Amino acid sequence: MSHATMMALLAISPLILVCLTVIVVMLSIAWQRNHTLSAILTAVGLNVALLALLFGWSLGTVDVTSVLVVDDLSRFGGVLVLMSTLACVTLAHHYLEGYEGPRDEFYLLLLSAAAGGMVLVSARHMTTLFFGIELLSMPLFGMLAYTFRDRGALESGIKYMVLSAAATAFLLFGMALLYAVTGTLDFAELGEALSAYGSDPWLLAGAGMLLVGLAFKLSIVPFHLWTPDVYQGGPGPATTFLATASKVAVFLVLLRLFQSTLAFHENWWHDLLGFIAVVTMLVGNLLALTQNDLKRLLGYSSIAHFGYLLVALVVNQGLAVETVGIYLVTYVLTTLGAFGVVTLVSSPYVATGGTADASPLHHYRGLFWRRPYLTAVMTVSMLSLAGIPFTAGFIGKFYIIAVGVEAHRWWLVGSVVLGSAIGLYYYLRVMVTLFLHEPGMQRRDATHDWAERAGGMVVLGVATLVILLGLYPTPMINWVNWVAG
Amino acid sequence: MQIAFYLSGLVAILATLRVVTGTHPVHALLYLIVSLIAVAMVFFALGAPFAGALEIIVYAGAIMVLFVFVVMMLNLGESAVEQERAWLQPKAWVGPAVLTAVLLIVMIVTLVSGDYEGSISGETLTAKMVGISLFGPYLVIVELAAMLLLAALVAASHLGRSEAHDEADLARERQRELNEQARADVAPVRETPVNTREQNRTQEGKA
Repeated sequence: MSHATMMALLAISPLILVCLTVIVVMLSIAWQRNHTLSAILTAVGLNVALLALLFGWSLGTVDVTSVLVVDDLSRFGGVLVLMSTLACVTLAHHYLEGYEGPRDEFYLLLLSAAAGGMVLVSARHMTTLFFGIELLSMPLFGMLAYTFRDRGALESGIKYMVLSAAATAFLLFGMALLYAVTGTLDFAELGEALSAYGSDPWLLAGAGMLLVGLAFKLSIVPFHLWTPDVYQGGPGPATTFLATASKVAVFLVLLRLFQSTLAFHENWWHDLLGFIAVVTMLVGNLLALTQNDLKRLLGYSSIAHFGYLLVALVVNQGLAVETVGIYLVTYVLTTLGAFGVVTLVSSPYVATGGTADASPLHHYRGLFWRRPYLTAVMTVSMLSLAGIPFTAGFIGKFYIIAVGVEAHRWWLVGSVVLGSAIGLYYYLRVMVTLFLHEPGMQRRDATHDWAERAGGMVVLGVATLVILLGLYPTPMINWVNWVAG
Repeated sequence: MQIAFYLSGLVAILATLRVVTGTHPVHALLYLIVSLIAVAMVFFALGAPFAGALEIIVYAGAIMVLFVFVVMMLNLGESAVEQERAWLQPKAWVGPAVLTAVLLIVMIVTLVSGDYEGSISGETLTAKMVGISLFGPYLVIVELAAMLLLAALVAASHLGRSEAHDEADLARERQRELNEQARADVAPVRETPVNTREQNRTQEGKA
């Protein structure tokens, strides 16, 4: 085996290990169904992959064939994807204990989706972008509809599948048009060809369709309509994965696409994207105002957060890459905390007619008097989502505003500030609900031993990290600077 | 060759439009077959005979036959024969027949004129070249496609499982739990004689 092949294999060993774990878990299921064993095997596989990723950092930038590139950015994305997948595994183990059907398939789907995310963060070719997105979405259909006896979960799965298929059609058509004009699918070559051909109408149509497909996955306005329904109906762990790992992976591939394709650097592209960012922030925040359902509210809030993130893409100079990195880290941690609490309160799964998860806000009324620590986690997450100082969310939002001010994009900065002000209202409303007096009505509650379970520990750890990084963000900033630089 | 390309493309678009607007599943499937064959012709015209052949074998051949079978199976019953007769009305088959006739004419004309050497532009892609690029630069993609199929299979097999299957699984699991419980119950039983013996001994001691 040649040296180059060896290097390439070492560089993508995390991806290989995740795929290998899928096979191992599948064989163990074939041998004997054991829920705990499947969860442990999955967690071990993901941890080994994470270790391989961290040890591989010294390899530098490695090209794996002509379709994948493993560099610092892709390792950074890989760490985020694997970490959130691990959190989902711990949450899923507790959640699925109450599910009466087979439980082990969930881990297979979760691992496959994680592999898709790993591919996506190192994609540098349209084919890997397409296969990564499909490998990420295909298991997600199964995960969202996993508790398919539930009407809500089934609806959420079908909705995501049908709309996702439409988005994929756009994506493919866009790629075909780009290929027809330029004759290449490689990001870098595409960028050169794009600047050479200028504003060919077919080229613009192709790039636009490509953006539509990606914007759907990131639920950017006007392609956001699926988000609240899918978030509300899907089982807790699946929604957690959708909100964290899946979004991070797609956003990072969008960032890579933007960095390499120079034609996107034309002015009117920036204006269009800036307009979309403003609309996304405002629509997401305004629609979240009237929600009485925590999961829907978090769905709308995620729309708004990706509006904020778009600001960094629009500016695309100076601190933009650092900002994306820092915002993604804080967003993932905070979202893991919020959805973790929702999943813990909904665990173990109880079969009901409607939506099985504790998503209506009234389930959380007076949670403080029953589960003070869990409430603390939720409070920290809400504060961080709102971007209050001393939480990680503040650091992320600070960077976004700094990048906007640096580029003199006053409209964008204004919308970020306005969006955050609106956001504060509904985040605080959730917090107030947590501390209200307990009503006598029927409600869901976490099990008594939630804090001793892996999922509970993960959620507590995440909340601690959110506060620590809010107080002392230097390690995170150094890490992201190193990745971006 | 250019004419062949454009005519086949036109047939493909018309047939696909009828697939989308058709209300009857079997008729729509008939049009879908025509559309797939037309796309295969487009591939041939573009100088990719391997992709064209695959399109016919895999899509028009295997997958479509499967589709038609499933739709037919769902319609079995007393009225099936009458239904068949009703389906064989000219308006059901004239459309697809005309479209395929166009494709046939295109093919015959191309064969007769002997203009099948070149394609619209570029060289002819053979199976060997497809294989070389699949297992050369796109090796990772082939592996990823395998993972994708595995994930789709797992999702489909989970979502498609029936109640009966579920209950059989549940019964097996309950049986295992019962066995474990029985094993756990056996253990105290073994202990009890010891306890009683000890009690007896103490009682004897007292006595």
